[in-house]
Amino acid sequence: MVCLLLSGVYTSAQQITQTFTARILSNGQPVPSATIRLKNQVMHSKQDGSFIFMAVPGSTIHVEISAIGAKTLKQKVDLTNSNSSPVIFHLEKDEKQLEEVNVIGRTESQEVNRQAYNVTSIDAKSLYNTTLDLSHALDRVSGVRVRESGGVGSNFNFSLNGFSGNRVRFFLDGVPIDDLGSSFQINNIPINFAERVEVYKGVVPIWLGSDALGGAVNIVTGVKAQNYLDVSYSYGSFNTHRSVINAGLTSSSGLTFQLSAFQNYSDNNYTITVDASDIKTGAYSPNTKLKRFHDQYHNETVVAKVGVMNKAYADQLLVGLTVGGNYKEIQTGARMVSVFGARHRRGNLLMPSINYKKNNVFTKGLDLAVTGNYNFGKERNIDTVFARFDWFGDSILYSGPGGESSRSLYEYNNNNGLASATANYHLSAGQELTLNNVFNTFNRKGEDKLKPNDINNKIPRKRNKNVLGIGYRYELDEKISVSIFGKHFMQHATSGVVTSDTEPNNGYRTIEKTISKFGYGFATSYFINPNLQLKASYEKSARLPESNELFGDVENLEGNFDLKPESSDNVNIGAQYTFSINKDHLLSLSGNMIYRYATDYIYWTLNNNQSRYVLSNLDGVSNIGGDAELRYSFKDLFTAGANFTYQNVRNEQKYELNYTGISPVYHDRIPNLPYAFGNADASFFIKDLGGKGNTLSLGYNLLYVHQFYLYWPSRGGSDGKYHVPEQLAHDANITYGIKNGRYNFALECKNLTDANLYDNFSLQKPSRGFFFKVRYFINKS
Amino acid sequence: MTNLKYISIALSCLALILNSCDKDNSESPGKTKGNFVLAVTPVAAEGVADYLLNAPSLESGTISTEGNGLEQDGTYRYYVTHKNKFFSMLYGQGNPGAVTAYNLMNGSLNKLTNFQTETVQAFTPVNNDILMIKMARDLKTEMSRWYRVDADQMLIVGQGEINTKTVTGNGEWAQFSWIRQVGDKVFAPFFCIKDSDWGTDYPNEAWIAVYSYPDMTLEKVIKDDRTSFIGRYFVDGLAIDETGDVYAFSPSLAFTNKQLSSTKPSAVTRIKKGTTEFDDYYFNVETAAEGHSITNWQYIGNGKALGFFIAKADKSQWGAGTRLAVVDLYSQKVTWITGLPALGDITSISDNNYTPKDGKNAYVGITVSNGTSSVYHINVETATATQGLKVEGGVITAISRLD
Repeated sequence: MVCLLLSGVYTSAQQITQTFTARILSNGQPVPSATIRLKNQVMHSKQDGSFIFMAVPGSTIHVEISAIGAKTLKQKVDLTNSNSSPVIFHLEKDEKQLEEVNVIGRTESQEVNRQAYNVTSIDAKSLYNTTLDLSHALDRVSGVRVRESGGVGSNFNFSLNGFSGNRVRFFLDGVPIDDLGSSFQINNIPINFAERVEVYKGVVPIWLGSDALGGAVNIVTGVKAQNYLDVSYSYGSFNTHRSVINAGLTSSSGLTFQLSAFQNYSDNNYTITVDASDIKTGAYSPNTKLKRFHDQYHNETVVAKVGVMNKAYADQLLVGLTVGGNYKEIQTGARMVSVFGARHRRGNLLMPSINYKKNNVFTKGLDLAVTGNYNFGKERNIDTVFARFDWFGDSILYSGPGGESSRSLYEYNNNNGLASATANYHLSAGQELTLNNVFNTFNRKGEDKLKPNDINNKIPRKRNKNVLGIGYRYELDEKISVSIFGKHFMQHATSGVVTSDTEPNNGYRTIEKTISKFGYGFATSYFINPNLQLKASYEKSARLPESNELFGDVENLEGNFDLKPESSDNVNIGAQYTFSINKDHLLSLSGNMIYRYATDYIYWTLNNNQSRYVLSNLDGVSNIGGDAELRYSFKDLFTAGANFTYQNVRNEQKYELNYTGISPVYHDRIPNLPYAFGNADASFFIKDLGGKGNTLSLGYNLLYVHQFYLYWPSRGGSDGKYHVPEQLAHDANITYGIKNGRYNFALECKNLTDANLYDNFSLQKPSRGFFFKVRYFINKS
Repeated sequence: MTNLKYISIALSCLALILNSCDKDNSESPGKTKGNFVLAVTPVAAEGVADYLLNAPSLESGTISTEGNGLEQDGTYRYYVTHKNKFFSMLYGQGNPGAVTAYNLMNGSLNKLTNFQTETVQAFTPVNNDILMIKMARDLKTEMSRWYRVDADQMLIVGQGEINTKTVTGNGEWAQFSWIRQVGDKVFAPFFCIKDSDWGTDYPNEAWIAVYSYPDMTLEKVIKDDRTSFIGRYFVDGLAIDETGDVYAFSPSLAFTNKQLSSTKPSAVTRIKKGTTEFDDYYFNVETAAEGHSITNWQYIGNGKALGFFIAKADKSQWGAGTRLAVVDLYSQKVTWITGLPALGDITSISDNNYTPKDGKNAYVGITVSNGTSSVYHINVETATATQGLKVEGGVITAISRLD
């Protein structure tokens, strides 16, 4: 299928047009994010100022190039018959226009922010010398809260504007990464893996095809046609080792090889303060300081891609393989009072993938991208030791078969595959039509060697999901941008109900559920002047139940096959203003207001006996919230910023099942959900310290989360009510870069004050830790 | 402008929050005070915890869970009082359970300890202790475990294993419906299970295992074939009267291949004080109660018990009865109680209730479909109920008293 398509493209492209490369410079420096207009093509230049365009060799073209802080360039270019050397365009600085306001510290890519969507982009490169993983980098974005159950590799729950769990979808270079298993998660992928991370709050662009309802996170690794090597290693507290290798090699013939490999290891034996009791006597020792003793985690992942770039038949054709594995010991249940000392899980990942991209396929202005992948990875849950442990590490071993939670040696394969295709058609300058389809399949097969005849392991667990989207975008003079879109969501899931376990082969009744839903919306932005942008968007969206939510995760999440899809109306209004005082002082202010009303709200809660989590639906939930961010920088020597998020998530379920009276918790704040939190950071840069091109930087980051109740706030006396206390986490770091960042040394301290930190009730996060990182980076164009 | 507004809102929010973070005193949990302790579960789909509410009287007044009551961690909990202490036990299924103990201080509950134990399926006061049993849950596991918690020291002072497979003598495994101290022994009525549907091939027999205490040695299994098994899962089928005689009810609730299978009617039998045999006492409850089966009871004194009944057509493996009657064990009579809400309007009824054991008074918590709950006072002599204390914002699951 793909081959046929390719050959078709090849011939039609050969006859008419050819690919030309070009570069935009200003005073010899590359100009990224410039807008290039060429007949009906609109393009933006990349970070190195380059762009590619299609034209007939030997013809004359009229190019118009505009960029912030530069005069618009209109130029006639006579194209040669060969496209060997790039065409260079020189832009003149525009003194009248404000210089590019680029507040350092958390550079936001212009290209991303130009969109009408409510989006924040993390410049991952500025964090390469830290030991952050993606989830901790995301935790510093306004509106985002990542809740973890422990240290390295622990379970986490991502929330964006109060919408958590799978309402927010994750993408890797625009491809959904659902169900990739425990070996590929945002909290075990180092920040060095990414080039930037885009966070879409609320309305998600059509080309990120998914049933996201609260937003989306797109991890952009950026396939670069460059030769580079980036190696780093860090070591620190709790015997934590992390290393990352990123390398890319592209030959002059366009053959490319890209490699990312990373590894995390930690004993997570950090100190906790618990109410411990002796397993043998029950003797109670409140507020005892102890170390975690069964929490080792490690994962290793290699992502390799090989293919060609900038060929006539493909702008990019890559075949990839992701291989990974992880091991995780399980220290606690859903409460710190449940201690385990032998339970663990393992997982691996084996995922071939293919990526194909071609602009101006079939006809000018039609861009096509096709991707596919299939995951052969396995997950294993091991609970075979019939014993009880206490926090002192003592245990009682029982006779006979049994487990710590539920005896299991369950091994399963989710068999999930994905195929996506996006077509973009540039109707005319500033007009674009997009069609996107994403198909996802899931078929969990598992067996438990201890219980070979357990029907529960034989019932089908299948899910097929398809999301089709169509969108239209209109842009006028870089000032106004309007997008409208429609989506169709389809899901078919199969499971079974055990009818009798006396029949060994087919002791279940198959149950099936089909969901079909439509969604639609618009997003618009308006630049009042180049420094002040207003944005507004609305979406009616649906979020389908995920595989793990329907079938469980075999660890701490119980499945609920009766889960209904959640629907939501999302309204976002935002503004961003950047300005400078005396050119040296740069300020950026941004704010967003959101309104959400979700019906059949999918809710993450503890099951009745607090042993596991389960998801179920609430009639309705509303949220009016907002976030604000302020950033300041002085020359390139100092930067500081702060953001704050508040969300008012309320229960809108008026009547409870079987009752006619108004629910006692109608309009109550949804419990167990952080609703007020913020971040602040500051960095100093000392340039040319100990030699030209060497930089010493000192950084500090503060995380604040207001306390919140575990159960409904209105119920019970305030004293003795279960809550997750206020969190104040201070992190500090020192980085020394030599030879313009070729050699880097960093020292970090996390949880500087050694505070007891919690994201989930009673589940304590790491105590103070120190980490050292070295990194080597070399890049040749 | 918009930005400045946001910032000022954000800063004022922050200021508000920082101001409200300083108070942290753990005195007098809850607000209402009194000797009675009611466990109340708010009616809500999600995020629900139990609340322990103190009340000075069960006869009148109104209490609410709104801003009142001592929050418990979750709702899957069981409560027992012993030696004037209140024990709140978490049922954690395969995971460990936990016990939180309180005493009464100035009319409020005061936390004494909170320790991890096993999740247990039966517990009862025995002498100074609380005896707890974690039942083996499949045919492969023969041993169940017992724990003795000293109610004065708040420590596990003894533990051991008992074989709950061989005790049945029929190849099925035994599930204790409940345990009870009888004289210096522990009686454990059980039902037999052969599969994961909790079915049995022995639906027409009753068994009580008799253990010595405190070493929990099996002394005898009392058997009877006039009734099906005694009690129900998590329900105490035994009542001991003032003379020390033990009465046992059978709900006639055995299942085989997911079908009700006992041919024996719901009935009460007796073991005379000091003996370990059923005598010839036989009280056919089904006949006395217009075809209803008894699903639970509470002994009130003078040979009378408050019985919970269910119509035969409504019987299910786990469903409890909501029709209340006074059961006279001596005269073998069942008298329906009047003055209660209409049967179809009752959505929940508490099964762990307070009685002064004077043979005259009993109390029960009832919730009706509009969500309102009340304690009903039952005059045992006239078999009439009167509405007493009203409870807002939840379902009453247990009523206890501490002094």
